[in-house]
Amino acid sequence: MAESGSPSAPRPAAPPVSPASVAVAVLSAWLVPGLGHVYLKRPLRGLAFFALVLVAVLVGCRLEGNLYQPVQGQPLTLLATAASMGMGFLYFLLRYALHYQGNIAGAGYEYGTAFLLTGGLMNLLLVLDAWDIVRGKKE
Amino acid sequence: MLSHFLLMVLYALIVGLFFTLLWRRERKEQIKLFLQIFLGMVGGGLLVAWLMYPFPSGPPAPIP
Repeated sequence: MAESGSPSAPRPAAPPVSPASVAVAVLSAWLVPGLGHVYLKRPLRGLAFFALVLVAVLVGCRLEGNLYQPVQGQPLTLLATAASMGMGFLYFLLRYALHYQGNIAGAGYEYGTAFLLTGGLMNLLLVLDAWDIVRGKKE
Repeated sequence: MLSHFLLMVLYALIVGLFFTLLWRRERKEQIKLFLQIFLGMVGGGLLVAWLMYPFPSGPPAPIP
């Protein structure tokens, strides 16, 4: 790993960080993809991440994929919903403002669902990344 | 018009770029990791498709 060096190498002590900073970084990272990185003074990386998540979500919508929501009696939909909600405000925008619904009969339904889930999961990884950065665990 | 193959390439492109930016900082390392992920996904997909070729399930559905 270029940025972290040897895994066994001692890491310099991270400066203390306020819980408020951690909360703002994590919440902003979840709410708007890439915003956590912008908040942590990594604007280019944040913009690139925003673009990647947005493209994944837009392609998923174009293919009429499923934007998951919990279905009674199907507990696995809870996991899929959590993954989809990882995309932050985009999920709520699609679900409640645009009333987006996938088309199960559409030819691109499965592909679109994969893109939508991937967009959400990528943003969840960005939340973890922002959390690591704000605590000084990562560059 | 999007084909199955183009969607696979697009997916590999997005995922490859994402993890490259997430995990690497140096340009040379970034290119190396991106190629590993991108070619691994596209090449792996083609390999699986080739292995499944003797077991056709019908004509592919058109994608709008």
